[in-house]
Amino acid sequence: MSESIKIKVTDLIGSPLCISAEDGQKIFDKVEKLLKEGKLVTISFENVTMLISLFLNMAIGQLYGSFSEDTVRTQLKVEGLSSDDRELLKRVVDNAKKYYANKASYDDAWLEEDENEE
Amino acid sequence: MELNLGTIRSDLSGFNTISNIAKQTKDSFLNSIELNFSYCSFFEANMAAPLYSVIARLRDELNDVSINNMQSSVETILRKNRFLTVFNQPKLSDYNQTTLPFKIFKLTAGEQFNDYLNRYMKGKGIPTMSKALTKRFRQSLLEIFLNAAIHSESGLGIFVCGQFYPQKHRLDFTISDAGIGIRENVRRYTRRKVNSCNAIKWALAEGHTTKSGSQPGGLGLKLLKDFVQRNKGKLQIVSNFGYYEFDADGDFCDKMDYSFPGTCVNLEINTTDTSSYCLSSELNGNDIF
Repeated sequence: MSESIKIKVTDLIGSPLCISAEDGQKIFDKVEKLLKEGKLVTISFENVTMLISLFLNMAIGQLYGSFSEDTVRTQLKVEGLSSDDRELLKRVVDNAKKYYANKASYDDAWLEEDENEE
Repeated sequence: MELNLGTIRSDLSGFNTISNIAKQTKDSFLNSIELNFSYCSFFEANMAAPLYSVIARLRDELNDVSINNMQSSVETILRKNRFLTVFNQPKLSDYNQTTLPFKIFKLTAGEQFNDYLNRYMKGKGIPTMSKALTKRFRQSLLEIFLNAAIHSESGLGIFVCGQFYPQKHRLDFTISDAGIGIRENVRRYTRRKVNSCNAIKWALAEGHTTKSGSQPGGLGLKLLKDFVQRNKGKLQIVSNFGYYEFDADGDFCDKMDYSFPGTCVNLEINTTDTSSYCLSSELNGNDIF
């Protein structure tokens, strides 16, 4: 396979803050297109000063709705994350895998109806 | 219309009192509403945010809201945290710099909220916390803020303020909106008629989100709970009739007497915490994906 294409998050979203869903979607759109073309992709978080799960759900979590775990593992890399942010990303990824594996029951789980108040 | 307020602390009773104002003024339009503070001998500064959720709705219905008979000690607190500037009263200098002032943000103002935290978390009265704690605290506040921006549908904005209590080594930060509430979000999404407490508990479970579209989500509140547990802090989530509280001793959700018109999250942290907040050893790319 060819050399990895680097996506610099701060360049693409124009900010060191990875906090909004819209910016996460921007990253997702670029990465999804490249992965579909079979490219290797490295997402660089260099110079990012703040990162939250909401952003990562959009940017990376969503990929598991389009690609298999194998594809993501083979074609995608991340760099420039501190160890605690890597942990955050791991939580997001595990959550996304579970979500797409069993979407309907995940949403409906255990919710009780309560007709008698409010 | 004159309404009396009692003492307001950041607890079930305080939220009930604030929600009762909303109930008593439910259909009020183009009225004059006076909030009489003469029975209020103490007002916990961070409760300015949820109080403004009620006031914002009243102002949106073109009511003229005023504040009267405030005791000087309460007035000092609420001028220092700049809450009273929304009633055109001058701010009072916070020489100790233990306050993160009351501020109204638009839903799209995530970056401005981050700037606000940059500025006021550096106040000389705010203790120097470990780097890991500072980062996790700010991450948590941004998760709450952005959650409110996505889910609240509160055209009136997001109301925030915070207060450091040096003797207790506790820092409280409160983010409140005047939106549709967690119950309505969960009802729309699940198409089931759940009550407020069950809706809050549903939203707290890992992976649950009412975000439209088919993206995974619902980690923000779970991460918040994990953080609070580790930090031995406290989390309060109030929305409609639900009052949820979580701390080291466990959690509970009580039904309030009156419905809070929106959602309010109060995060209280223990500022002496030196945990690393990094649980496992270094993860590499293969471990992540």
